Amino acid sequence: MRGARFVPWIAGGLALAAAAAGMLPRGKTRGLDLDAFGRLPVLEGGRVKPVDSVARNALLVIRGQQSFRMAGRTILPGEWLLDAMFRPDVADAQPIFFINDPDVLGLIGLRQTSDRYFSFNTLLPHLAEIQRQAESAHAIDARQRTRFQGAIANLFERAYLYYRLRNTVQLGDAPLSREIAARTASDAAERQVALAQLAFFRPLPPAPGEPANAWRTVGEALRAPTAEADPVLQGWARLSAAYASQDAGAFDGAVASVAEFVTAAQPEALRQAGHELVFNRAQPFYAGMVIYVLALLVLFVSWLWKPDLLQPAAFGLLTAGALVHTAGLVSRVVLQGRPPVTNLYSSAVFVGWGAVLLGIVLERVYRRGFATAVAAAAGFASLIVAHHLAGDGDTMEMMRAVLDSNFWLATHVVTITIGYSGTFVAGAIAIAYVLRRHLVRRPDPAATRTLVSMAYGVVCFALLFSFVGTVLGGIWADQSWGRFWGWDPKENGALLIVLWNAIILHARWGGFARERGIMAMAIFGNVITSLSWFGVNMLGVGLHSYGFMDKAFWALSGFIGSQLLLIPFCFLPPRFWRARAAAEDGAAPAGVSGT
Amino acid sequence: MTDRIHTRLWDAMTSLKLTIGCLAALMVLVVACTLAQVELGTLGAVNRYIRSFVVWWQLPGSSWSIAVFPGGALVGLVLAVNLVAAQLRRLELSWKKTGIWIVHAGLILLVAGEFVTGAFQVDSQLTVEEGQTLNFVERPREMELAVVDTTDPAHDDVYAVPEALLARERQVDIPGSPLSLRVKAFHKNADLGARGPADPPSPATAGVGAGVAVRPLAPVTSDEQLNRTAAFVEPVAAGRSYGIWLVSNVLGAPQSFTHEGRTYALAMRPRRQYLPYSITLKKFSHDVYPGTDIPKNFSSLVHLSNPGRGEERDVLIYMNQPLRYDGKAFYQASFGKGDTLSILQVVENPGWLLPYLSCTLVTLGLLLHFSLSLRRGVRREASPQPAAVEA
Repeated sequence: MRGARFVPWIAGGLALAAAAAGMLPRGKTRGLDLDAFGRLPVLEGGRVKPVDSVARNALLVIRGQQSFRMAGRTILPGEWLLDAMFRPDVADAQPIFFINDPDVLGLIGLRQTSDRYFSFNTLLPHLAEIQRQAESAHAIDARQRTRFQGAIANLFERAYLYYRLRNTVQLGDAPLSREIAARTASDAAERQVALAQLAFFRPLPPAPGEPANAWRTVGEALRAPTAEADPVLQGWARLSAAYASQDAGAFDGAVASVAEFVTAAQPEALRQAGHELVFNRAQPFYAGMVIYVLALLVLFVSWLWKPDLLQPAAFGLLTAGALVHTAGLVSRVVLQGRPPVTNLYSSAVFVGWGAVLLGIVLERVYRRGFATAVAAAAGFASLIVAHHLAGDGDTMEMMRAVLDSNFWLATHVVTITIGYSGTFVAGAIAIAYVLRRHLVRRPDPAATRTLVSMAYGVVCFALLFSFVGTVLGGIWADQSWGRFWGWDPKENGALLIVLWNAIILHARWGGFARERGIMAMAIFGNVITSLSWFGVNMLGVGLHSYGFMDKAFWALSGFIGSQLLLIPFCFLPPRFWRARAAAEDGAAPAGVSGT
Repeated sequence: MTDRIHTRLWDAMTSLKLTIGCLAALMVLVVACTLAQVELGTLGAVNRYIRSFVVWWQLPGSSWSIAVFPGGALVGLVLAVNLVAAQLRRLELSWKKTGIWIVHAGLILLVAGEFVTGAFQVDSQLTVEEGQTLNFVERPREMELAVVDTTDPAHDDVYAVPEALLARERQVDIPGSPLSLRVKAFHKNADLGARGPADPPSPATAGVGAGVAVRPLAPVTSDEQLNRTAAFVEPVAAGRSYGIWLVSNVLGAPQSFTHEGRTYALAMRPRRQYLPYSITLKKFSHDVYPGTDIPKNFSSLVHLSNPGRGEERDVLIYMNQPLRYDGKAFYQASFGKGDTLSILQVVENPGWLLPYLSCTLVTLGLLLHFSLSLRRGVRREASPQPAAVEA
């Protein structure tokens, strides 16, 4: 076919164009330029970010989603935040609190139904009781809480987060302009303290002569003797009034004036916030996930229909997905000024990226489509994992003091994460091998040989990177804690991966495990890697416990269970294989490779 | 006959199966050690599973222990012997195998390094408050009984009896002094409380000990807990007893007696090592990111004074930036007392260089070996292959 050469380029190009379209700003909502509002820089969680990031992360924490539908319309995070701050009567009625725990529902007088989203107004009469229960739950160590205690503590934290957002710029009942006018009144000092304490983010840039990160809360700004003359404070006051009255012209003007005066004080802030806004809008990891699924689907179809056309198309899509994934990764590195892996979330993004790249290289070497499938599946799976790890809010949080070393983050953490990628890719290849064995009718020794040789190569790769990564970790530990090796859970996890890969290779060299044995061991590598990646964090002991998480326990158990279930299929004797059965029937001519 | 046994032994010692068995055993130990850390703490778990030759399991409800698994030290030793033996026997000297040679040499060094660390590494702490000057480091997990001659107000003479000597519960002569100590009882960990009417009479006949009840406890190893060590000692000099005293690291008040005009104070305290230099904490800083409680930085500004070498200088110790001085490394480990107290971890490990060496070797070896096999593999792939029957 003459045009076949262009198929991967066309498929990949289309996917890239669709991903790029996500970067374009949305139109105005009710005539308000919410995009310009979302770009305003504020300080939250120790770093300057666009207010859009604050809104997205807060809504993600409270509702578990970055937008929601109400009355036939999608409410985006910026609009929701504006409502929460300046039209609390509207926001309080929006169903944003996700509650699923039956005991918690019972506490607020509700039953478990299909509707799991509740408004602040629904919670309001029960807030005192929620707080009382949450406080008794908080006294218990997070690992020892019952399901109800965990759920009620979590609900209270979310309700408090919402309450803080509502009272960041102005105390619910009084517009900011009135607060400025009455800033020397008798009860003003008390109100200013409340505003300073409740503020979830700091909207006012540092006063002249202050350090660059000394952004101020509204409460602090009101206390300054020159508060009336503070143009940013005045801008926010106009913004508040304009939004409350839904005056689009005044709102856009107020946003522009805040942006102008913030830029005068902090020239870089607006530009940087703008970049992050584009990153937020593009959602590169979400786009990448969709493209990987498409690649996988196209590849599946290619095994049944028009392989010459669809297999290259799938590879084109995979490459496009990898480009989007890479762009997202690079943007994070630039925005954060840090190497790519800084927390569990980014490690998942990076593991997927490494796996996809490895898959692309393997596909270029072997050109049989397996590596495309493995890479697309691994990329998709890891981005899903990352998506679920993002529920804690800002994924670009500041680094704790002990981790504050770009050199070691760039070397140890990146290398060990590539080692994880390698082990997972080897495991994925082995799964592909098992599935082929049991699903494909035509025996194809060349294809099997390819899979085996790929798996072996990747295990070698994984051993190298996990060993080097572990060792670099040891050197970092020696530099910062005074011991090269301390048998800390995370270190032990890394060691297990190294040992397991070493066992696989020695078993192969010694001839103790052949094709099926190696494949089964490679699948077990998935179990070991997932345990050392997430499992050790659930123990909650050791020096690496800053990555502590316990929510994913069931997800992790499910994954491990599925892998353990696959292993016996490696060892089923040949009469259970479809390929062998088909060959004995004489249904397919042997030696035809059509995959 | 003996030849046959030798051959078989040699076969077993050099077999790849033994290698895999050792690696698998090591995995089991590492998993067990990781899980046990929740209960035992890092030190306890490591001592039980990794730095032991045999893992013992205590039969429930009895004092009997049975060996259930080889310990990490044994497995490491067997692995090292296996490596060396296999290397000598099986692997021919050829360019093809250079990588493997280098990797295995590095691994042997790595195992050796862990043995050196286990045997020689000394961990201590420097707990210092702002403005305070110290010329010693302490080992919080190890006690000593200090007998301090405090007669001269300008300077103390310290005689320290290490815990291991006390644990023998015998008489200890204090060198350089006329004193001997008769150790009546020693408890590595004990619960100390006010003696009630139901408690048996205290062995102590002098000092605060008479009013204290001592209930021995099992020693603790977890990272958060410390042992409360207690002992009953009887100082004897020139044939005269000065009574039986209770000493413990949890008793705050100093206890002293006078012999021939010299006053001696008794104190159970973390084992000290005196340094030929002194360290003054000038300032401890603990910064957080604005608007959060995420720590941004911990740092201790200290003054190092070593009159012997004529050194007087300020050093800033912070995260990932220890002070390495005189064979010791001082790391920022912890802090307290409203950010006015700094705890520095002090590590002395003569084998600290070994892992660096071994890791460089293994990394280079793996790179070399895999690139050599990759080149061979690509060549094979390029040459036409005969059709193989699917296995």
